[in-house]
Amino acid sequence: MEIYLPIAEQSMNVFILLGLGGAAGLLSGMFGVGGGFLATPLLIFVGIPPAVAVASQANQVVSNSISSLQVHWRRGNVDLRMGLVLLLGGMIGSSAGVSLFTYLKNIGQIDFVIAVLYVVMLSTIGVLMLFESARTYIRRRRNPEAPRGKLHTHYLVHRLPLKLRFYKSKLYISALLPIGIGFAIGVLSAILGVGGGFVLVPAMIYILGMPTAVVIGTSNFQILFVAANVTFLQAATNNTVDVVLALLLILGGVVGAPIGSRLAAKLPGVVLRGLMSVLILVVAVELLTELLRTPSSLYSLGTRQVLP
Amino acid sequence: MRGWDAIAVLLMGIVLATPLAAQGPRIEPPAGGIFGPLPGSGQPADPSMPPSVPNRFETPELIVDLSRPRLSITSAFQGESILLFGMFDPPGEIVVVVIGPPARETVLRKQRVLGLWLNTGRQAFDDVPAYYSIAASQPLQRLLARSAGGEILSLEDRLQSVQSVGQREHEDLTRFRLGLVEVKRREGLYPAAIGQVTIQANRLFRVELPFPSRLPEGTYEVRTYLLREGRIVAAVSRPLPVGKVGFSAQLAGWADNDGPLYGLGAIFMALLVGWAGGAVMRRI
Repeated sequence: MEIYLPIAEQSMNVFILLGLGGAAGLLSGMFGVGGGFLATPLLIFVGIPPAVAVASQANQVVSNSISSLQVHWRRGNVDLRMGLVLLLGGMIGSSAGVSLFTYLKNIGQIDFVIAVLYVVMLSTIGVLMLFESARTYIRRRRNPEAPRGKLHTHYLVHRLPLKLRFYKSKLYISALLPIGIGFAIGVLSAILGVGGGFVLVPAMIYILGMPTAVVIGTSNFQILFVAANVTFLQAATNNTVDVVLALLLILGGVVGAPIGSRLAAKLPGVVLRGLMSVLILVVAVELLTELLRTPSSLYSLGTRQVLP
Repeated sequence: MRGWDAIAVLLMGIVLATPLAAQGPRIEPPAGGIFGPLPGSGQPADPSMPPSVPNRFETPELIVDLSRPRLSITSAFQGESILLFGMFDPPGEIVVVVIGPPARETVLRKQRVLGLWLNTGRQAFDDVPAYYSIAASQPLQRLLARSAGGEILSLEDRLQSVQSVGQREHEDLTRFRLGLVEVKRREGLYPAAIGQVTIQANRLFRVELPFPSRLPEGTYEVRTYLLREGRIVAAVSRPLPVGKVGFSAQLAGWADNDGPLYGLGAIFMALLVGWAGGAVMRRI
């Protein structure tokens, strides 16, 4: 069954889009990250213009993060103060990111930049995850009761000025650090259409040293507002948010996410992470081949401008 | 939501108004120089004259109609064919040219840089028709042997006249122009083949005009020519509005005219569905 996407200006199979949303939801249910970092490249593979794929995916992230924030908020797993500081950086970063996006779109390089950033990001994450899960797997087999490492270490970043006390996270660190992280995630979110949870969560654990319990809820809090900001700015400046596309992804995701979290409860985490890293690497390699392979046509068209 | 209502009313107005315009006079008024004085026509045809009455003047009869007055891009649109049919005073041959609305197109060219393919060249052209197709009852070369050239243009000839923006050497410009045709052809907007106009009973004709799913909006022009011995003896131009209708039109119009409001709507939709969906699915 085909449906016409009014902003992408093309028709597309409904079930492909629902399936993509469902797959992204499945991942988000399993790993607590958005799944946008796989859904956007897949949307590009099925022929959605990259600019529309990114902006509509940001819209989907809004829905995905309100869903999980609902749960974490009720459980009290949100460090509001940390969330707001991250958000300050995130708002600046995402606004700058959308401006950069608009500039790249106007000079005709946006598709290339999106592809390159995805290749770099996905291959880094994929390789790291693969190593991590392999190491954990081997260590567990050797010694099932291996001691865990220190919660967090103190180093250079703890000496920056503007220190703030974050009671819920039991941290006393410089506000510049979360602002900087929020900024970077905001830029990433604007250009790639991802929530950035898969970068934000490790950054919060390893760089900020936040307790794991509040990490997911707090990251969801920041992602919700950053994704909403990206959606708004993309719609207002680039007209690239396709709500029909976003709605189909959201509906798929709503069904996929609970299935994912149930699956995650049954399968061991190491195996899940291993599978996921392989999946990520496959997408990264596919994107890279697209960039390296001699294209079937050297020519493409930029935005059509109707003259007054 | 006042903006939304205004758009809906505007769209309704357009939808109601256009079929009337499309069913206007059989023979359209001369459009500038293109439809200038036709050979053999002493006086313009009188639109009030019933079609069956033979014209007292020398302009032969040429009546054209389309199977639908407009192309509607709905939520289910996947490209469409329109049937053009009509009648003419024999003898003669029929040529149909469909021209999409003009716009500035920017052609991007990829080049290998450090092993990666990226767009390095760009060239803008003004006045590029969004769509261009030709159909004829006989091979065009034969029909245009004499002097109809200049009026009926092959795609290549039509594109010779597009203005390039900025300076570029001629050879390179030609490559970009060919690139433009290549992309448009891939999208089905410049069909490579000349369509076949079938003539029946020596005076009825029909032809299927194909339109792909990725169709730019605007008012297309369908020109039908009656040729005798390579000369145009009658011509009819019909507008063919192409536009989104219904839900997709409302959304696209909203996104176009009021981006910030549309963005807020999109966010609200996502929040609502995400919240409700999450709550419902957790209970199952």
